[in-house]
Amino acid sequence: MSGTGSADERKVSSLRELSPAIEPPRDLWPQIEARINAERRSAPAAQPRPARARAVPPRWLAAAAVMASVAVGVWIGRSLLPAPGPGVQSPGSARASFAAAPTALDVAYVSDPRYQRDRAALMKSLQTRLAALPPAARAKVMASLAAIQRAKQDLQSALGKDPGNALLQELLVNTYQDEMRVLTDIHAASDAGRGI
Amino acid sequence: MTQAQAEDTRVDWEAALVQRACTGDTRAFERLYREHAGRVYGLCLRMTRDAHLAEDCTQETFINAWRALAGFETRSSLSTWLHRIAVNVSLAKRRKASPVAPSLDDEQGTGGACEWTLETPVEVQEIEAAIGALPEGARDALVLHALYGYSHGEAAQMLGVAEGTCKAQLHRARKLLRERLNVEVG
Amino acid sequence: MGFSRLAAAMTVLFASAAACASGDKTFERQVPAEAHGVVDISNVNGTVVVSGWDRPEVSVRAELSEGVERVDVSTDHGRTTVKVVQPHSGHGGEADLHVQIPKDSELTVSAVSADVATAGVTGVQRLNTVSGDITAELGGSDLELKSVSGNVKLKGHGQPARLHVSTVSGDVHLEHGAGELEAGTVSGTLVVSLDSARSVRARSTSGDVHFEGKLARGADFDATSVSGDLNVRASADAGYAYEVSTFSGDISNCFNATPSEHGHLPGHTLQGTRGDGAGHLRLKTMSGDVQLCDRK
Repeated sequence: MSGTGSADERKVSSLRELSPAIEPPRDLWPQIEARINAERRSAPAAQPRPARARAVPPRWLAAAAVMASVAVGVWIGRSLLPAPGPGVQSPGSARASFAAAPTALDVAYVSDPRYQRDRAALMKSLQTRLAALPPAARAKVMASLAAIQRAKQDLQSALGKDPGNALLQELLVNTYQDEMRVLTDIHAASDAGRGI
Repeated sequence: MTQAQAEDTRVDWEAALVQRACTGDTRAFERLYREHAGRVYGLCLRMTRDAHLAEDCTQETFINAWRALAGFETRSSLSTWLHRIAVNVSLAKRRKASPVAPSLDDEQGTGGACEWTLETPVEVQEIEAAIGALPEGARDALVLHALYGYSHGEAAQMLGVAEGTCKAQLHRARKLLRERLNVEVG
Repeated sequence: MGFSRLAAAMTVLFASAAACASGDKTFERQVPAEAHGVVDISNVNGTVVVSGWDRPEVSVRAELSEGVERVDVSTDHGRTTVKVVQPHSGHGGEADLHVQIPKDSELTVSAVSADVATAGVTGVQRLNTVSGDITAELGGSDLELKSVSGNVKLKGHGQPARLHVSTVSGDVHLEHGAGELEAGTVSGTLVVSLDSARSVRARSTSGDVHFEGKLARGADFDATSVSGDLNVRASADAGYAYEVSTFSGDISNCFNATPSEHGHLPGHTLQGTRGDGAGHLRLKTMSGDVQLCDRK
């Protein structure tokens, strides 16, 4: 079997002693989740689900939809790439083919128009929203936003050197999602401060 | 806690996760994925003999499972249900990769009761390589019956063949393994 | 009087009278409440202390500083609302609320600069603050706690619960938790101790994550950070399989296992199994350091 190279060196006296389970060489969940979220976004009524007992505030639905759109961007980005090898290593051929376009992955992540629109709306009102926060909170939040910005830059820079790196891709998606979460939290927090 | 009690607890916990996943809780579905990914991937890998294809099969299996989760009867075994999906996906992917269908096995044989014991112990790597070298039909039947513990009838149903054909494939698998490993398989 | 008109009258009856416009003042009100009803509390500035009791009523006591307009307490169809009302313009004041609620109530607290503390509440809790701190006793099965810059401090009793905690810059401290935990922060520090973990998902951007606890059989543990460090001390009766990945951080462990490099590409990976390997533990960072050891 190609690419398996079982490392199990024990001897067995029966086929039934073989372990049925073989762990995938890399974590497949992020891509599965991205596909699920993409399908949910495109056809929310197609899957019959019992109603949730607790109503979800509209702003969290919006945030969830945005995160789903980022996930779609990830799925699209990953589907354009050859599958990376085990762990964080990417095949040499992937590096060669994407060495000339280090920003291609970044473009794929944020190319979803709905994500761009929602993020732009949140960024537009960011300064006003920050001003509505208590001063100490405002300073801490700005520091956190700066941390997110640095994380994005560091990850994009690292991905430029190793574009097929699944670990970096996952962390970058997490960072985009966290940025949206923070922007949405600031939005809600400033509304609360106004007593709405 | 006895083995049976532990299994009951596990099934209850799994049923609760399925219910939560049905409401759209992807975290709960992720838990199910983590629990079953190894066995599903192992099945896909042994059927397709290709790591990249096996990854695709595993992903398709869980995505199909997500879509069909509302129709899953929590009384049944989730593991078996996932394996059925995985077998279907693997067979489809394999057909797409090599459209020429292998000829049906004419070999007669009951493939009867066999514990798949080896006369002398053999290294796991060697056995896996021998299984991987088996013809597709024989390999599929062997993996489902000997490794995953499905009965002849269950394995046949999953593979879409008659039970007699499945038994014949198992008989063939046993014979080929005996030749390759140079040990008696009983 | 028809039932609906009576209900409307009762709602108005329990609304607070306007308080005096100046000077510190106290406020007290009790209203009947369902044992499994909903209680919503909102306060912009001050403190909110909530405790659960066995009585079918909500009791509100408040110390209000100058500038607070009033406290509204109303009840309608099983939902009790307690709201500190600030003036629309000008500076508001501080309100220190002490609220006692039926312990199985579903509790929601929304605060801005108010610290929130709960104890003895066994129903669902949803506690949100902007800059206030949250201190909660884990008594129920479902808790969601969010703060932007406030710190979150939780104490459990080892009873399983579904716990969701998120902050932007606040720290999170959890001790004696159990069950399922989802915790996220951007730059805060996560310090988590679980008596029994079935599922843990911890995420940070630059904050450090410290975990110490026991993994239940078949548990799933996922911790990721971009630049924060991950420090995990875990034990599991049924063991766990671990996978540690970092792009440019260091990996250290107490098992004498050697991380593997990826040839000419950056990154380290450490994989292995402890005991029977029934659980799964995954640690991932870009530049943060990772340490994995057994829990003593």
